[in-house]
Amino acid sequence: MDLFESFSIAREALRANRLRTILTTLGVIIGVAAVIALVSVGQTVRTSVVGEFATLGPELLWVLPGKAREGSQFAREEGRLSLTFEDAEAVAKDADAVSGVSPILQTSIEVTSAGRRVTTTVVGTTPNIADVRGLSMQAGRFLSASDLVRRKRAAVLGPSLARRLYRTPANILGRRVIINGRAFDVVGLLRSEGQVLGLDLDDRLYIPVTTAQQLFRIDYASFIFVKAKDTASVPRALRETERILLRRHGEEDFTVLTQSQLLTSLDAILRILTLALTSIAAISLVVGGIGIMNIMLVSVTERTREIGIRKAIGARRLHILTQFLIEAVVISLVGGLMGMLVGLALSWGISTSLFNSAPSLGSTAPIVLLAFGFSAAVGVVFGVYPAWRAAQLHPVEALRYE
Amino acid sequence: MTPVVALREATKIYRLGKVDVPALRGVGLAIEPGEFVAIMGPSGSGKSTLMNLLGCLDRPTSGTYLFGGHDVSQLSDDELAELRNRRIGFVFQTFNLLPRLSALKNVEMPMVYAGVSRAERLRRAQAALERVGLAHRASHAPPELSGGEQQRVAIARALVNTPSILLADEPTGNLDSRSGEEILAIVQELNAQDMTIAMVTHDRDIAEHSQRIIHLRDGRLVRDEMVPRPKQARQELIDLAVVSP
Ligand SMILES: Nc1ncnc2c1ncn2[C@@H]1O[C@H](COP(=O)(O)OP(=O)(O)O)[C@@H](O)[C@H]1O
Ligand SMILES: [Mg+2]
Repeated sequence: MDLFESFSIAREALRANRLRTILTTLGVIIGVAAVIALVSVGQTVRTSVVGEFATLGPELLWVLPGKAREGSQFAREEGRLSLTFEDAEAVAKDADAVSGVSPILQTSIEVTSAGRRVTTTVVGTTPNIADVRGLSMQAGRFLSASDLVRRKRAAVLGPSLARRLYRTPANILGRRVIINGRAFDVVGLLRSEGQVLGLDLDDRLYIPVTTAQQLFRIDYASFIFVKAKDTASVPRALRETERILLRRHGEEDFTVLTQSQLLTSLDAILRILTLALTSIAAISLVVGGIGIMNIMLVSVTERTREIGIRKAIGARRLHILTQFLIEAVVISLVGGLMGMLVGLALSWGISTSLFNSAPSLGSTAPIVLLAFGFSAAVGVVFGVYPAWRAAQLHPVEALRYE
Repeated sequence: MTPVVALREATKIYRLGKVDVPALRGVGLAIEPGEFVAIMGPSGSGKSTLMNLLGCLDRPTSGTYLFGGHDVSQLSDDELAELRNRRIGFVFQTFNLLPRLSALKNVEMPMVYAGVSRAERLRRAQAALERVGLAHRASHAPPELSGGEQQRVAIARALVNTPSILLADEPTGNLDSRSGEEILAIVQELNAQDMTIAMVTHDRDIAEHSQRIIHLRDGRLVRDEMVPRPKQARQELIDLAVVSP
């Protein structure tokens, strides 16, 4: 039997129950749109986050307190108090492949100035962080060696924090900011660094680490930045840092990460996250498929007499089976096509508004094909049982059906 | 000559839950090529059951059924479907047209299942509608047609694959007498062109348009009579027109 005829029969039947067809199609549209939107947004998140992290500099190493558990750099055992400033000094002194070391004592706290009160990140560190992290000034100066030695109450502000605290953020040198009840002099304003992982790197404030220790009564470092001499010496810097710390601690209660390790783990996590989201979306597609199955079963029952007539005039089982299967596939393909358009529009909107980057055609093309193939498969899988039921009907019984 | 259809000792027992309902209790019957046979009997006597067996819509519980000399009791469902499609034309009391399709599409349907090309389908469907005098109604859907017109579409559909036998189960049962008479006229014309016909009716007057009447009672064949001078529907229509112009 020719396929054209099957399609026109399916079209007639679907037209006869317009509202029902639209509602069933809607189930597939939502499922496919959700899959496409989530996969493509997930991809955008991955590329943009990994890209942001890459800009932090390939020579950077992180020394974190606590030992990494088997297989994951992020699931560290508790041991938050294992790193000290002497550790940082030792690495700076003894490691040859290292050009700079900055211990970081960092906390989230409320600061006030001229009546404005905001919560921000206070970073206690050493002056060489400017070199290690590549910070540059917009106005004033960075923390100095004498600030460090004399435990000065000097503060350098990120531009976002300056905007939040002051009405004239460009002109803030010499003003005061209160941290933990103590007044600090604003000595510098940093140039913008942008965002990493949705975290605003400009919404922070740097003070000398010695002052921070006194202010918060903490002797330990939150973590330590280590900068290798160049990209090629990263592996050596890693080995040296580990050796020095191991000698000092006597046990491996710390973790040293390179940027590439961090990026790999981050990418893996985001990949899993995307997969999880997509699986949830795929469930909605399955629900859409169950909707098709439901409607097709109703349709087969309602059209029992039609099936009887077709069988009486010579339709074989395969004819009836294809007729109902094509109906289900038409619903799922139309739903797939429309869901694809909705999904692409959604992912484009989300990506551009949240990450400032449109999803690339190259990355969406495979998803689109996949979703389309998947929706066709949904039509076949969920259409087969109702169609089989129709094909099995006995002609005489079907003709007697009222 | 080989009979078009031949039943021997055919029984049909329906199972309703735990109860057996014997609808046919051993029927032997042969219909020769070119015959026009009427099957009569009271309601529930097994007429429709017999027609369903003859039309290969169902299988006998026991006994044999030869179609064109071939035993069809061992055929698969799909083989029976093909037999119905190519060798049997069926006309029902309730017309059984597909209501959403035009008359033309309804008539085309058996050819779709026979794998006939589109152009050929169109040509033959139009010719079949012409034959029952409905060429001008080809694009109308069944709900837009009168009962008599619908039954004529059904006859066109039954004929379109040039079957060996036309089976009609109370084809005039749902029609007024004039429309019924028109259907009988068409059936008689087909028979005059050598079509073999079996028609169920419970009306003696209608049965007398055939050449041979078979009487069923309680699932058994009780009488097989020849009609010496069959009534002529065409003549009766003319008479009707004279009486009530
Ligand atoms: N599908 C069926 N299931 C159960 N009983 C049936 C079925 N079809 C017919 N019968 C029974 O078989 C007998 C013959 O029915 P049928 O052949 O339709 O008679 P007729 O057409 O002469 O009125 C009746 O008693 C009827 O109730
Ligand atoms: Mg009957």
